[in-house]
Amino acid sequence: MNIIVAIKQVPDLDYIRIRDRRPIMEDVPQVIGDIDKSALAAAVDLKESAGGNVIIVSAGDENLEDTIKEGLAAGADEAVLVKDARLAGMESSVIGTVLAATISKIENGGLIIFGEGSADNYSGQVVSRVAQILGYPQVGYVNWIEIEERVAQATRSLENEEETVEIPLPAVMSVVSEIKEPKIPSVSSILKARNKPKRVYTLDDLGIEIPENRYVRTVINLAPVSQRKGILIKSVDELVKVFESEGIIRR
Amino acid sequence: MEFNLTKEQQMIQSAARDYAEKAIAPLIEDIVEKNEVPLEIIEGLKELDLFALPISDEYGGAGAGYASYVLAEEQLSRICPGVAVIVSVNNVGAAAMSIFGTEEQKKKYLPMVTKGDGVFSFAFTEPGTGSDPKQITATADRDGDFYVLNGTKRFITNSSYEGPMIVFAKDTETGHINGYIIDKFCEGYSISEPWKKMGVRGAPLYDVYLRDVKIPQDNILGEPGQGFWILKVAMALGKIGICSIFLGAMLAAYEEGLAYATAKTHRGAPIAKFQAIQMAIADMFMKYEAARWMAYRIGYLADNARDKGDILKDSAAAKIFITETAIDVARIALNIHGSYGLMEDYKISRVWKDVIFGPQVEGVSHLLKVLVAGEIFRDLKG
Amino acid sequence: MAGILVYSENSKNAHELLTAATIIGSALGLEVRALSINNDTQAEDLAERCGEVYRIKEDSLKLSDTSAMASILDQVVRKLNISVVLLSSNRRGKELAGRVAQILDSGCLTDVYGIEVRDDGNIDCFRNGLGGLTVVSQVIDTEKKVIAIVPKIFEAMGNKITGVIRDVEVDVRSSGVNVVRTKTKVRDAVDIETSDIIVAVGQGLANKDDLPQVEKLAQLLEGEVACTKPVATDRQWLSEERIIGLSGKKCKPNLAILLGISGQVQFTVGIRDAKTIIAVNTDENANVKHISDYMLVADIKDIIPELIEKIS
Repeated sequence: MNIIVAIKQVPDLDYIRIRDRRPIMEDVPQVIGDIDKSALAAAVDLKESAGGNVIIVSAGDENLEDTIKEGLAAGADEAVLVKDARLAGMESSVIGTVLAATISKIENGGLIIFGEGSADNYSGQVVSRVAQILGYPQVGYVNWIEIEERVAQATRSLENEEETVEIPLPAVMSVVSEIKEPKIPSVSSILKARNKPKRVYTLDDLGIEIPENRYVRTVINLAPVSQRKGILIKSVDELVKVFESEGIIRR
Repeated sequence: MEFNLTKEQQMIQSAARDYAEKAIAPLIEDIVEKNEVPLEIIEGLKELDLFALPISDEYGGAGAGYASYVLAEEQLSRICPGVAVIVSVNNVGAAAMSIFGTEEQKKKYLPMVTKGDGVFSFAFTEPGTGSDPKQITATADRDGDFYVLNGTKRFITNSSYEGPMIVFAKDTETGHINGYIIDKFCEGYSISEPWKKMGVRGAPLYDVYLRDVKIPQDNILGEPGQGFWILKVAMALGKIGICSIFLGAMLAAYEEGLAYATAKTHRGAPIAKFQAIQMAIADMFMKYEAARWMAYRIGYLADNARDKGDILKDSAAAKIFITETAIDVARIALNIHGSYGLMEDYKISRVWKDVIFGPQVEGVSHLLKVLVAGEIFRDLKG
Repeated sequence: MAGILVYSENSKNAHELLTAATIIGSALGLEVRALSINNDTQAEDLAERCGEVYRIKEDSLKLSDTSAMASILDQVVRKLNISVVLLSSNRRGKELAGRVAQILDSGCLTDVYGIEVRDDGNIDCFRNGLGGLTVVSQVIDTEKKVIAIVPKIFEAMGNKITGVIRDVEVDVRSSGVNVVRTKTKVRDAVDIETSDIIVAVGQGLANKDDLPQVEKLAQLLEGEVACTKPVATDRQWLSEERIIGLSGKKCKPNLAILLGISGQVQFTVGIRDAKTIIAVNTDENANVKHISDYMLVADIKDIIPELIEKIS
């Protein structure tokens, strides 16, 4: 049984500069987000008990093949990609459809793992959309997984409790970063990444048309205005004075 | 012409940076204090193939080439030049064996220093040689199927670790200088107390004493009489390591200077607001950029040279420029710190004691300039 | 008349959602309806706050089975002619939201922390973009809309009315997910979101032994100790309830003191609504300076004892 890990190519947030409150996206490197790396590390751990391959699925623009090398270096065995310029910045409902169609192309996919949310948008809805399209059961925010034949056990980490469930496979899960700390890839695994098997589809190959009307429209995307005073203080005495002037302590 | 790193190179650079920051940085004070790198760091580097990156994967290396090696060494040295020196010397020995060694030698020794418990040493310098191989006094006496080695080697890195060492000695019968392979800590092998060095801590230097060290005649590296050629190749490769190491130290100095300039305030404003400081920041950036591309190009040249000895002129020139420039940059960064830079609480004080090593090791600058000029004249004559 | 449906398994969150629903409902002329699943007490509590409460009693329906739950929501939406579904943006709510939206072939927004109904009838939803670097306002353009709202943003609706509870028949389609066991998280009873003063620590606090000093400072100021994510998850020095940021709590105290926090956006998104922010950091160039009203460049382990001494 193969384990499929859905990965999102995201801009490296550390490289985004703000000018006139607008994010500057040019020349920002594309990377795999940290939670997705944890998802991949968890999948690699499960590979043995599942007895199959770890397969990355991802959809994105022309940088995708390079970005996905990070995942192949981190231990995935192969990648099935949808590369299409029209996918840049595409909304969750479309990405869900595209990923579900891609996953359907993979034989013997028993478990499909997502990060709980992408590093940039963090909405966490693609995982649920994919589960619904495929008609698979799902469990979200998982911090522990064990595979036994055609069922898995997984622990959903909720706000107040941990809920361990039994879930028939194939199934879709989203994981939290605590599930597994990603390892630094070795140089050999980095170099081997480019030779790992890869299938690349376009939207036309999958027979997917992007709907003319968006489901969700972004009206504003601006950095918040900071109206902070930005005063540098030099000593604890000054700090105490600030406490007094802000009415936090009284003398 | 292409000035971008490939995705693979970016990933190798990140892997080295992440490892240095996560595994080495937390131990740096201990490494500096004890002048010793804990074994788990070497094991960790081996696990990630960062310890013998250019060595073929057939023997446990990564076969990643020198362009990637430069990137990785720069990142390791940015945090700890001592670690990068251990890696560099190991690579010189292992690379020389990869080029000149027999299949048996490679099978026996390379896996040990790429993945196993050993670290390669390279013993050329003696108390009286300086950088002139003709002055070597260590001897190899033929005794039936064996050689018997005697002599003293000075400032030898990695000599306290188990593993192979290439020793340069004179064959008393033929007068040839040859490289001989010995197992460290064999009978007749001993080392001095470590030299008390002021910087590049973590990679201690020892004197090595060889007293009737007996090795099989097959333990000669390359053909008898090839010693000078082997040395030339090793020096070229060693200089790539030195270029990357002092580039990394320069980067650390640049980062420290920049951070201090933006953090330190004078009358309520960061000192970076002053033009004098801005000049200093621009100077550091210019120098680092020049040195960086020179170092990266040396890696590229090594990957494309049929005989690695052919890059000796370029690597010597780069080595002079980068090591001298590292001192320039560290000096500027120190100036930005003012008197605080002299205090051990500030990292720049340590970086200063590291960069000062650059021009003095692997051939002092003046000697290398003579070498470079000699090569230029030779090219002129055609 | 078309309606707006409120559902959360968490009663307090459901009461908050009723407030949001009332704002949207009155602007758009939508009837507010609440749903309660397998929880009679909740249904009764909701009926004191909402005119129409729909109750489902089906033992075979489990909260843990998101597939079955989404199908139920879909059935209710169709039966009651619902055009807006409001869910809680807690973990269960977010998981449910995407699946319900997919069945309804609708747009969905989660982690919404502000709504504004515009004159043209669009509902502007405010949420973080680019990991918190930006604030985005988004509008769902599909006929039906699924919106998951961050807990504790809206006031809970008070118990003022006597609504009706109607049972609703649904068809449960289990996807075979069964709970094996549940374990209550060892919980820190702290509620940093409602605290007026927050003393937050980051990785600049090098030594765990200095933590009691931080706690003492918070105590003196009558505030709560909070932290960045790595302090709780990597170092496990403090409980996860005390995490501020994108994957933690969003706080708006009167005063936040940030100790040894560099100010990555994943953190600052959770504190940038504080009235006053004071930062102490060794690195004056740290990002935190951009969100601070006052910044002291110093090592926190030196500062805290001195500060405690001077304000005691």
